[in-house]
Amino acid sequence: MSERVARVALSRLSEPGDVRLTTLVGRLGADRVYELLRDEQDVAGVYTDVAARLRGLDPERELAEAATKGIRFVCPEDEEWPRDLDDLDRAEPLQERGGAPLGLWVKGARRLDETCRSAAAVVGSRSATTYGASVASDLAAHVAEHGVSVVSGAAFGIDQAAHRGALAVKGLTVAVLACGVDRAYPSAHRNLLDYIADTGLVVSELPPGCAPTRVRFLSRNRVIAALARGTVVVEAAVRSGALNTANWTTRLNRVLMGVPGPVTSAPSQGVHELIRIRGAALVTRGEDVLELLAPSGSFLSEVPRAPVLVTDRLGDRERRVLDAVPVSRPAGEDSIARTAGVGEPDVRAVVERLAGLGLVEQTSAGWLRTGQTAPR
Amino acid sequence: MGVATARTITLQGASGHVIDVQVDVSQGIVKTAMVGRPDASISEARDRCRAAVTNSGFEWPATRRVTILLSPADLPKRGPHFDLAIAVATLAASGKIPVAALTGVVFVGELTLDGRLRAVPGVLPMAMAASARDLGCVVVPEPQAEEASMIPGMTVLGARSLAQVVAILRGEPVPEAAPVQPLAPGPLLSWRGEHRIEAVDLSDVLGMADAKYALEVAAAGGHHVMLSGPKGAGKTTLAERLPGLLPDLTLEEALELSAIYSLAGCLPVGQTVMTRPPFRAPHHSATRTGILGGGSGRVHPGEVSRAHTGALFLDEFPLFQADIIEGLREPLESGEVTIARGDEIATFPARTMFVLACNPCPCGEYHPTNRDNRCECLEVRRREYRRKISGPIADRIDITRHVEPLTRREKDDPLARPETSAEVRARVTAARERQARRYDGTGWRLNSAVPGPVLRERWPLPPEAELLVDDRVYAGTLTRRGATRVHRLAWTVADLRGVGRPDVAEVDAALRLRSGEPLMLSALGAVAG
Repeated sequence: MSERVARVALSRLSEPGDVRLTTLVGRLGADRVYELLRDEQDVAGVYTDVAARLRGLDPERELAEAATKGIRFVCPEDEEWPRDLDDLDRAEPLQERGGAPLGLWVKGARRLDETCRSAAAVVGSRSATTYGASVASDLAAHVAEHGVSVVSGAAFGIDQAAHRGALAVKGLTVAVLACGVDRAYPSAHRNLLDYIADTGLVVSELPPGCAPTRVRFLSRNRVIAALARGTVVVEAAVRSGALNTANWTTRLNRVLMGVPGPVTSAPSQGVHELIRIRGAALVTRGEDVLELLAPSGSFLSEVPRAPVLVTDRLGDRERRVLDAVPVSRPAGEDSIARTAGVGEPDVRAVVERLAGLGLVEQTSAGWLRTGQTAPR
Repeated sequence: MGVATARTITLQGASGHVIDVQVDVSQGIVKTAMVGRPDASISEARDRCRAAVTNSGFEWPATRRVTILLSPADLPKRGPHFDLAIAVATLAASGKIPVAALTGVVFVGELTLDGRLRAVPGVLPMAMAASARDLGCVVVPEPQAEEASMIPGMTVLGARSLAQVVAILRGEPVPEAAPVQPLAPGPLLSWRGEHRIEAVDLSDVLGMADAKYALEVAAAGGHHVMLSGPKGAGKTTLAERLPGLLPDLTLEEALELSAIYSLAGCLPVGQTVMTRPPFRAPHHSATRTGILGGGSGRVHPGEVSRAHTGALFLDEFPLFQADIIEGLREPLESGEVTIARGDEIATFPARTMFVLACNPCPCGEYHPTNRDNRCECLEVRRREYRRKISGPIADRIDITRHVEPLTRREKDDPLARPETSAEVRARVTAARERQARRYDGTGWRLNSAVPGPVLRERWPLPPEAELLVDDRVYAGTLTRRGATRVHRLAWTVADLRGVGRPDVAEVDAALRLRSGEPLMLSALGAVAG
């Protein structure tokens, strides 16, 4: 039996992210572990747990059946296996879950490694506000336009907004599910998942047919974090699952980013804590995300600035003289000198320079401001 | 010779009073006197009636003293439609018609000099008033018989001339007469795009999930909406799609609305009853009388009343005259408008949904987010502009939404399946039916109309949800009136979702709708475009 078929079998037998099993596979190889289990050897207590699932298991048939649905199994020995996933083996487990997936079930024509070479995870609350959804969408659209794939979980709220933002600009997007890739969960997202499978990828650790459970969502989050270079949390209340993804991002030493909301908004509270305590970078738009994720210096986010005015370039004495030139009633140089506290000979030189810049003008009765401050 | 009484109706606003037209024909100094506070047009009736009676082949008691009394005397009386009652009572008093034939009949109609009848405005509300006083029979000008027949159980006699009326009352064969011209003019011209509003659909609008949901809630519960946003963002586009979300009028609503149009003299020809909710969109240069009602002579219903049971869209709201804006306080709060003028007080229904639209600043380019702000207005001007919407007015708005222009990302979303007006209308209809069942027998139709104390007493919020509202009240960000409005809004959100009563999620949504904060649509089970 090949290593690959053994991994298929184990992926059917175990719950994703079972640390006991991933450790065993790392040490003995999948083939050997599967053999031990079939020999009913209770290594680390795994057999007892999987005994019921072992009966009637036929991994070869599973693979063939999946293929008829356009689903393939990608494992570490495949060329398209994203090496970034292996970081999970070195990351500390979280709530007894961890380790690289045994393999990923993939639906979609593109190569997994290429699609995820430069990817950003955009995650957040299912009960998002329309503000969060629109920020997530715009942000995803912007990074996707610049060749960065958007990874998310296809849930309601932020997830779907992120996927759709990327799709709107014909960008690549990857949906990581907590159930079999042939299922639509939530069922309202059947169209979304079909569309993603057609243009991007739908992936899951779980074999086709599996239903989503609470813990499977937690394991799934580590895959989202590991497939992307960084994770943007858009909206997350204090108990949101998106914070679990943020945890994994930190564990993997990837870039953690947060989009702030109004300080009074409960759905943004979790994000604010990420920024305040956990060192998440504050991002407000796609440019910010690109600057943090792309190779150093390749994208620089423009700092918003007010337009430069002529007056910005004036020295202190010039400003004082300018401020002393009246707006409505012309004043003589002596009066300007008195107001500005600058010597009269100096005033003459300065007002002439200011007149050259078009800021003041000479009238028969003295000097007057022109009111012009436009940028030069 | 003798005395006879015929009945007619006088209108004050939208309410009608039965008037007894009593005519006494007796010996004395020859004179025709009219007493009981007639207005100018009724005083003229004397001459019209005399000519009409004579030219119809009857004899006017010209050699007698004729006293015409309009009672009760303390009511101001208006309009030429007293003619028919005066003529009939005079003929009865002079023994040409059996006095008994006049019992229980209401006469409405203006007479021409040759004795023909002319149509008059307001026949429907008059018939309503007659019905309310248990007067089961009305005689009206023929083209308006249909209008009066809308009242269930009403016997309507449409006549073309005085001679026909007399024949009917005498029980004789009815003579021929030329048909009467209808009141509302036939359309002089029609133009392409006349029915533009009926052709637009909600599915034409991409994105704006937030604002669309706000409109849906407004339509379901009859709540007032303020849409703000830079010019060209789609405020008008959205507002024009509101009527499409409303179900057909109930019979009761249709009668109320038709009565208002009848009063205004603009009930469409050939249309028995208005079935679709109205959508009115007066320009900001409109006068106070035009918007709120009034006018010299007869009191006309204004746009707020013509939009009764429907929607009134006031675009560029801050540009309306300040006294109009302030005058809207009453209709916004109570759903009616009172025009007090001298000794006459007219009240019209104005239970309409106000949709107010405004730009963020006079130039319409201001974005609170700095990034694409192209506004050139001075801060002072901007503040002045916003201040035109005074606190008391703003407090009466249930839903505020900021509309942002469509982004390319929303336009190109391959998965966008914007709902059609019909789909939303189905939910709105269901929500309205729930309200109708709940308020059955109370006299209210929609959540927006239920008085605050009754709502708190009979349909309170669960304690935990109430707490959300109280927090804001104590924090000073919500007024007491605002709290009541949030309470009503929460019921509408619940009615739309089909849950039995509002809870925390519904109250949260209501608070968000009111404050302009972004909504949590997925938490409400609403599908985002």
